[in-house]
Amino acid sequence: MLEIENLHVSVGGKEIVKGLTLSVRPGEVHAIMGPNGSGKSTLSYALAGREGYEITHGRIFYKGADMTALSPEERSASGAFLAMQYPVEIPGVTTMNFLKTALNAQRRARGEDEFDAVSILRLVRGKAAALNIPEEMLKRALNVGFSGGEKKRLEILQMALFEPSLAILDETDSGLDIDALKLVAEGVNALRTPDRGMLIITHYQRLLNYIVPDRVHVLADGRIIAEGGKELAHELEARGYAGLIRDAA
Amino acid sequence: MSERALADNPLLQQFATNAATLPGAGTPWLDTRRADAIRLVRKNGIPNRRVETWKYSDLRNAVPDGFVGTICWKLDGPTDAVELFDLGMLGSETPDWVMQHLGTVVASRGTLDAASLALARTGLAIRIPSGTALQAPLKIAYSGGGHARMLFVVEAGASATIMEINRGEASNSCNIGVEIVVNRGAQCTHVNFEEAADSATRVTVEEISVEVMEGGQYRGHYFGLGSKLARVEVGIVLSGAGAQAHLSGTGVLHGERHYDVSTHVNHAVRDTRSTQLFKNIAAGHSRVIYQGKVTVREGAIGSDSSQTAKALLIGDRAEADLKPELEILTDDVKCSHGAAVGDLDADSLFYLRSRGIPEGHARTMLVRAFLEEAVEKIENEDVRTAAWQFVERGLAEAMKIYP
Repeated sequence: MLEIENLHVSVGGKEIVKGLTLSVRPGEVHAIMGPNGSGKSTLSYALAGREGYEITHGRIFYKGADMTALSPEERSASGAFLAMQYPVEIPGVTTMNFLKTALNAQRRARGEDEFDAVSILRLVRGKAAALNIPEEMLKRALNVGFSGGEKKRLEILQMALFEPSLAILDETDSGLDIDALKLVAEGVNALRTPDRGMLIITHYQRLLNYIVPDRVHVLADGRIIAEGGKELAHELEARGYAGLIRDAA
Repeated sequence: MSERALADNPLLQQFATNAATLPGAGTPWLDTRRADAIRLVRKNGIPNRRVETWKYSDLRNAVPDGFVGTICWKLDGPTDAVELFDLGMLGSETPDWVMQHLGTVVASRGTLDAASLALARTGLAIRIPSGTALQAPLKIAYSGGGHARMLFVVEAGASATIMEINRGEASNSCNIGVEIVVNRGAQCTHVNFEEAADSATRVTVEEISVEVMEGGQYRGHYFGLGSKLARVEVGIVLSGAGAQAHLSGTGVLHGERHYDVSTHVNHAVRDTRSTQLFKNIAAGHSRVIYQGKVTVREGAIGSDSSQTAKALLIGDRAEADLKPELEILTDDVKCSHGAAVGDLDADSLFYLRSRGIPEGHARTMLVRAFLEEAVEKIENEDVRTAAWQFVERGLAEAMKIYP
């Protein structure tokens, strides 16, 4: 589903991701763990196609095709979703209107019928209730005045709504208290299906207690320095990144 | 008057030719006001960029013939509830309230305001009687070119919404002088739509002079799509304690268009309040201008004013000039001002695109969101809807460059 081959990414002329190879098959959940500055967010932005994140070398295959030339909106319409570490506040755009516009834009790009306002409202309400998102929040401007937990829950609501085949969660656990973390994890686990792949990017092992990964990759200085099963996350928790980086050197 | 001055100034030529045939010519009070006005035109000459308040809009070569032709107006709305007087019928039958106010609201006594007073053959005076509350707006639509004069008097405790729609034909340049009197405890909402037809060869200037008396409130909303040169000049005197003025507006420009909103709010007495919020979009080679001056006069303690002007540039050849200015001649006041010119926020744009919203659509969403605050200042829902429709027409052109 996702094949990353020897990926190098530069931002502002500085190489951040320095030769990363990774493969996610349908139904798998992979965790990428790494200290601050290891290139985790750069990887997620490069996967989502953000301008300024220049792929200088290597390729990203998604569903068998090279997606490096696709625009962010094309990647989204083809089923890739990035839950962002810092969801953006946009005054003047209501959350509900945003959800409706985004969902219909994706459907239109895929040649599917657009939803009418009533069906969308019904769909959003159902999924929002499961994530404990009050209706009042949907009427407010997108992410404006939302708490950290509310912002992250809204990211997961989008994931539930868009039903992506590849979900990338960038530090979705940061800034969450334990209740919010559980809620977000439940939302993610509900989307674990045999045809969907996930990439969970995180600094801490905590989230992985609730979303148990099939594979764990440790990223340091733009390269994967260790790989293993879910037990690798526990080892990291016990030894810290420094120990692992020393071993790898 | 010297030959030289006449030749240099088409407005003086027009007066020399037409003074005797203007409506009501020979009526002493009117002759005096027109003579005073043309004296000002002669003294100041045609506004040009050497004049500070005209720094960004040079009229010298824009209207070589002055403003010729006839401006027609059409009025719709709850006209039964108001008194009307056609200013084309000025003369011995002029009602007292017109005589009292016409040409006396001097908040923005600039050259062009004076020219419209001295040269207008057409115009309309509206009086909202004391205590009358109009729910539906009075709508005035202009056509043609030349000079026109408008007078709106909102008597004590009355309230009204007045919309002006200036959607002129391509080549007809026009100059409209508007006077608004907001009496004690009265409320006047004034909405101005300035739109050139498809061609951008037209020059439109409008001077709006407002006096707000004790406890009165003026809400002004100015919307423009620009033309070769379009300028709205707003002069306000808050002359009674507790008087308020709240101004907002939006210019949405494309092509080579130009739109200039210049305001001057005078806090003449204590406890007066004014707010201003202008949000503009300039695309292509267009140029949008906001100049706003707030004067707090001596003794106007407890005055409160705020001024914000922002512009978004679409593409790298558009221009925005934003100049808020404060002149405070007393202590114990609260005044703030700010201005910012920028591009769309890259994080926001990426966020929307990463959710599948195509770039052009995402940009338009963000532009609308940027303008929203200014448009939403309009309290009347129907008028607000009309404002959004107007803005959307401008956005359809300004955002054309994106797929």
